[in-house]
Amino acid sequence: MKRKAGIIALLVLGRGLPGHAAEGALRSEVDARKIGLEDQVQLTITVEGAGSLPDDVSPPAFTNLKLVGGPAVSTQMSFVNGRVSQSRSWTYVLQPLLAGRAEIGPVRTRFGAVEEMAPAIPIEVVAGSVKPRAPARRPTDPFEEDPFESFFGRSRARAAEPRLLVEASPSRQSLYVGEPLRLTYYLYTQASVSDLQFTEAPRYAGFWVEDLERPERPAGDAATVEGVSYRRFPILVKLLFPTRAGRLTIPAATLKIAIPRQGFFDNGAVVQRSTRPITIEAKPIPDEPGFSGAVGRFKASVAVDHPALALGEAATLRFKVEGSGNLKWIDRAPEVRVSGAKVFPPQTKSDLKTEPSGITGSRTWEFVVVPQTTGTIEIPSLAFSYFDPSAERLSRTETAPLPLRVEGGASAAGVAAPLAAPAAARPGGPLPLRADLDAHASGPSPLPGRTIALLAGAVLLLHGGMWSSTRLAGWRRKSAGRTAAPRSVRVALRELERVGRDGMSKEAAAGLIEKTLHELFGSTDGDDSERARSVRRLLEEVQLLRYAPQLGDYSEKLHELAGKAREVVRRWA
Amino acid sequence: MRSGPAWALLLGLAGLGPPALAAGSPADRFREANELVRGGDYPRGVALYEELAASGAESASLYWNWAQAAAARGDQGEALWALLRARELDPSDRAVLRELERLREGANLDRAEIAPDPLAGLARSARRFRLDLGALLLLVVSLGAHPCIQHWPSARGLGPTAGTALLLGLLAAAVPVAGSFARPTGAVVRRGAPLLDSASPTAEALGTLREGEVVPILETSGDYLRVEDSSGARGWTLARDVRRLTGPYR
Repeated sequence: MKRKAGIIALLVLGRGLPGHAAEGALRSEVDARKIGLEDQVQLTITVEGAGSLPDDVSPPAFTNLKLVGGPAVSTQMSFVNGRVSQSRSWTYVLQPLLAGRAEIGPVRTRFGAVEEMAPAIPIEVVAGSVKPRAPARRPTDPFEEDPFESFFGRSRARAAEPRLLVEASPSRQSLYVGEPLRLTYYLYTQASVSDLQFTEAPRYAGFWVEDLERPERPAGDAATVEGVSYRRFPILVKLLFPTRAGRLTIPAATLKIAIPRQGFFDNGAVVQRSTRPITIEAKPIPDEPGFSGAVGRFKASVAVDHPALALGEAATLRFKVEGSGNLKWIDRAPEVRVSGAKVFPPQTKSDLKTEPSGITGSRTWEFVVVPQTTGTIEIPSLAFSYFDPSAERLSRTETAPLPLRVEGGASAAGVAAPLAAPAAARPGGPLPLRADLDAHASGPSPLPGRTIALLAGAVLLLHGGMWSSTRLAGWRRKSAGRTAAPRSVRVALRELERVGRDGMSKEAAAGLIEKTLHELFGSTDGDDSERARSVRRLLEEVQLLRYAPQLGDYSEKLHELAGKAREVVRRWA
Repeated sequence: MRSGPAWALLLGLAGLGPPALAAGSPADRFREANELVRGGDYPRGVALYEELAASGAESASLYWNWAQAAAARGDQGEALWALLRARELDPSDRAVLRELERLREGANLDRAEIAPDPLAGLARSARRFRLDLGALLLLVVSLGAHPCIQHWPSARGLGPTAGTALLLGLLAAAVPVAGSFARPTGAVVRRGAPLLDSASPTAEALGTLREGEVVPILETSGDYLRVEDSSGARGWTLARDVRRLTGPYR
């Protein structure tokens, strides 16, 4: 919010405050509209703009006033948002002549081909003195006095407290809950302002707050407060809606206002000004069943996008409320019940505009209506109740009943039912119904996970059992002195199966048996175990056969030896 | 487990069964319901489908047609539930999967909002690819191959066969077993179904559930289910607002 206040301040400075250069503006201002015969009045004529400014402005006619000082001329140049603007001022000091009415005549000057005019300023002159005196200067401070002051013939602005005021001004102080209240923050100033910020974001307890757009070029207007003339600029405008009844207080808001430097020895200043607290009387509104909570003046209307549709299609029912009031608050949709149709919760759309007079526009609730029967369905009258502050009572706006024609379907009188009605979820085609109840049912029911887990566990256990028994057998073999690996035994047995096949010669067959036994049992020299003796006996038989003369068929003998070898292997390997 | 058909038969024989079921076979009643739906009488058509499902005559086709009727009368949540139920019964039905995707997009639901439990997806995959039977077959093969190794040590390839079959069998079995740990789920069939702070008629609403959203069912208490919505909020809901996706209907 502080940032927001800063932005507002920048807008104010960029567009409306004194010191800003418009395309060409002329102002004539006095520091008081009511003076005493002993007082002096200061007239400042200011021209400002982005282009070239007039070098001189003719002084206006003075009625009942005489010129006692000036003109002092000052020129300012500023850069705001990348734009260069400048202003030039001529300051005159005037002395009243007689009590009564005085006047500073209109001022005219030309900006190129355009002539601008500042209106005449009436001044009331009374006897004595009414203007506050400037505080006495301290003579000991050599830098207190601006050395250029006497040269320009005007006093420094910083010598006195800058004339600045802020005010929060409500458009009214008594209203109903939900009615709009425009709250404008004004800056009253006689000095240029370079920055403006709320020290704390304004608080509006008990109000719904809407921001109003500021005008592009807020024109300051002349205003008099307690007899002192100011330029008045709106700096922030809010639209407030009381949300509860009772006395609501808008607390004071404080603004920090920066004054730019006015001369060489002036460093500028920052002053604080506060608004006064404001009390608003919020009157209660009746709370009755069905009351929407809307306050203002409204009119309701209803429409459907398809007055006639096929069964299964959907229609959109739009209930629109338009008018001026607190429509932005109202979220509760009217209850829509349509006999023979399903009505879905609505979507809400708003076309609302916040204006100084309140919120105007429309709010629309869109219901999707899906008829569930054919024929003519009636959308009943829909009502919207609101509180009319001007009449100070609840009012009601109603729509007329609306027919909705639904075609197709079994209940259409005298007409055979169509095979399929288009579905809302599948527009443009018949319902794709399946004809067979079990068209997709196939196969046995899936096994429950627990059963599968049990079966898998059982299989694992069986595998484990078999593996363990093999291991156990291996361990027994090892303890019995059989060291060959089962794989080697399998390979040896496979090799021994080949003995005598495919016309293998007795030498080759004997060599194969020898090789197999050697690979499996290794050397048995020096080993006197039964195992070694068996192997050695077998090898001797093989060698006898191998080196025996080829006198006949040895195939039978070869098979016998191979069988013995397998037995030895199975037993001892 | 499903005693529905048996009871219906007994009641029908005794003349006490529901008149709709007493009138004909489930297939006839199914066709009758289809005719009602085609004629635009969705409420009666859906009522017949419901009777068939309650009697145990459940199939993907029944729920497919139910979904069509529900969608046509604007009950998006019920249509989604029926399709999800059809998918549970026949995960290989591609038409159901396509229709489900279409409805899901129409309801602006994220995929995760209709599949809150990944294990349920595993269970479906297991059913779709019959991994239970595959696992069983592989385990039997491995079991058969193992003793063969003992008896025919010289036979080649028996060892790798047994090992591979065992490994694949265990992997295949892991999928349905993991799927069986999926929490039961249900689909929200009513728009604006409230999520309550307790299982009581006087409970206060904590929020609302999205129509069509699938929620895990954490607990059951009378007519109330304790569920968890997609945002992680837990609360109770009326059992009629959330229909179960697994198990027998009703």
